[in-house]
Amino acid sequence: MKKSVSLLLVLIMVFAVGSNLVLAQTDEVTITVWCWDPAFNIYAMEEAAKIYKEIAPNVKINIVETPWDDVQTKLTTAVMAGQTGTLPDILLMQDNALTKNVTNFPGTFVDLTDSGIDFTQFADFKVAHTTVDGRNYAVPFDNGAAINALRLDILEEAGYTLDDFKDITWTEYIEMGKDILAKTGKPLLTNVADSPDQIMAMLQSAGVWMFDEDGDVFIAENDVLKEIVEIYVEMVKSGVLVQVNDWEQYISTINRGTAAGTINGCWIIGSIVGQADQKGLWGITNIPRLERAANASNYSNQGGSSWVVLSSSKQADVAIDFLAHTFAGSVELYETILPSSGALATYLPAGDSDVYNEPHEFFAGQRVYADITDFASKVPQISYGVYNYEARDAVGTAIAQILAGADMNSALQEAEETVKFLMGP
Amino acid sequence: MERVLKLRRRQNIIGWGFVLPASLMIFIFYFYPIARAFVLSFQTGVGVNLKYAGLFNYQRLLADNLFKKSLGNVFIFLIIQVPIMLLLALVLASLLNDKNLRFRGFFRTAIFLPCATSLVSYAIIFRSMFALDGFVNAVLTNLSLISRPINWIGQPWTARIVVVIALTWRWTGYNMIFYLAGLQNIEPSIYEAAFIDGASGFDQFFRITIPMLKPIILLTTIMSTNGTLQLFDETMNLTNGGPANATLSVSQYIYRLSFQYSPRFGYAAAISFVIFALVAVLAFIQMRVGDTR
Repeated sequence: MKKSVSLLLVLIMVFAVGSNLVLAQTDEVTITVWCWDPAFNIYAMEEAAKIYKEIAPNVKINIVETPWDDVQTKLTTAVMAGQTGTLPDILLMQDNALTKNVTNFPGTFVDLTDSGIDFTQFADFKVAHTTVDGRNYAVPFDNGAAINALRLDILEEAGYTLDDFKDITWTEYIEMGKDILAKTGKPLLTNVADSPDQIMAMLQSAGVWMFDEDGDVFIAENDVLKEIVEIYVEMVKSGVLVQVNDWEQYISTINRGTAAGTINGCWIIGSIVGQADQKGLWGITNIPRLERAANASNYSNQGGSSWVVLSSSKQADVAIDFLAHTFAGSVELYETILPSSGALATYLPAGDSDVYNEPHEFFAGQRVYADITDFASKVPQISYGVYNYEARDAVGTAIAQILAGADMNSALQEAEETVKFLMGP
Repeated sequence: MERVLKLRRRQNIIGWGFVLPASLMIFIFYFYPIARAFVLSFQTGVGVNLKYAGLFNYQRLLADNLFKKSLGNVFIFLIIQVPIMLLLALVLASLLNDKNLRFRGFFRTAIFLPCATSLVSYAIIFRSMFALDGFVNAVLTNLSLISRPINWIGQPWTARIVVVIALTWRWTGYNMIFYLAGLQNIEPSIYEAAFIDGASGFDQFFRITIPMLKPIILLTTIMSTNGTLQLFDETMNLTNGGPANATLSVSQYIYRLSFQYSPRFGYAAAISFVIFALVAVLAFIQMRVGDTR
């Protein structure tokens, strides 16, 4: 009995000393990253890891595939329970949730303002989304510049070209939409019901949001929002826009050719090019603009995400150095990931690269990446705010009520009160 | 005498030894979190900035339109769906209890089978079946029952009907099993006597089966009430609370408050305790009404 105990002790000591030695020799560091899309951000992270391997061979990047909803749930649970040790070193955050998380969980994310990363090299609107109270909290990643993607063959059938849709107003868009519907039987636009993404993109195109500069709710008295609601209702009533129930149905309207086009963040290209037999049939242009709104433009943003570093990380300095040398410093990285994944950057130096000026054969030889980079530089800046998700849901509910026949002003008033209540003490 | 005492003590210790690990687990992972959640419900604030505020959260509830809306929704489901489901389960159980029925085992299994499916996957399948270009619309159109597809999930009442149909499909078999078990305990001679006395099948069902099954009907009613008030998976995946919050359940509202909106854990905990209280009150009423012993 005694013998076996002492033998065990000796074994434990040998292992303990041995593993210490191994650690001391290689000094290996593992950086854990949470992101969600194997064809897109996970792929980009893998390529970044390859580039950093040449700079710091002892650093291993461990990517854990985690869908965004899970990232948010795990983050909230870990921070609320004080178990930040369960979090990774770096995670990918949706831009529209960044202000919310940074504000509600103070001290959870590393302030990158003085980390040496040059934020002036990223598109202005994107840096605005990742800045809270003047401090930078994330390395910007993908581009969500809004595009109007159209089926050239359906337009031709109705006697239109892509150029007819460039720099137009929503009124002109609806007029052409009605004509195309009459001639081809196809709507110009489809959208997921109850999901106000389209409304949000239209708001940003005029540099307006559901909150004012002081962060107060700005829904009931928001004339830009009212103009947008009127346009949206007219599109649905006239059949120019068809609402579907979920994302799969939305994608199928694009891929099956039941709609003549779609307006969304430029990442929608990834879903468009999935339909190989539609090669050469698509073109992109900028989105229509509002008429009454003061700062109306033909440019907006929809979606997008950025890399944040967690304060709980024991190797936060390594994580920052990794991001500085890859996503915030390597044109080569963006040149590698663009052709195979369509991952458009907001890193401006990458836009000058030849890869960005290549014609895209799926889009009939159009230089789509150069066009989108140009759109991205003109997107109006806004701040999403802490209560963005509350406001989104409330406005989405109001739109559904208005489409079912409710009065616009009272529905928006109700939405404003709902958001005010949720923001209340 | 002393030996008997010793033996009893020994047996007691062994008995506790078996019960203790499970009891401890239940206490640590069940009762302790419930107590902590109750404490949490007296704290208010956003994110990690929580402070004690007494009954403030419970007061705040009274002015919360989304909470009232979601509570109204689950009561609509409760009032419509639970009676339909339980009646259907009773009828099916008494049909399948017939000893002369062929393929009885097959039918029992087939009706119970939906309970073995995952809540999320069946909700997603129902969503695709009731899509605008889905299976249900295709069948109805081909049978010329409707001229144009119905937007089931896009309108408040049709969306609620879809949720009710889905819930009934998923849970009828589950309740039927309880009734079948109960029916096994009813003496067949009672039915024989009733038959000789000239009672119709209808009479037998309402005068014998239902009264004899009363305790089990009570049990299933309480379980279904509890389940419906805590409805989450189905509405989350089938309709996502839409359109315009017409199918938003209380649990989904709690989820939004905790994980999608700026997190208010204290307030969310208060709502869950209101649901807890409601379930307790409803169960109490049902027991007073149903239990006539």
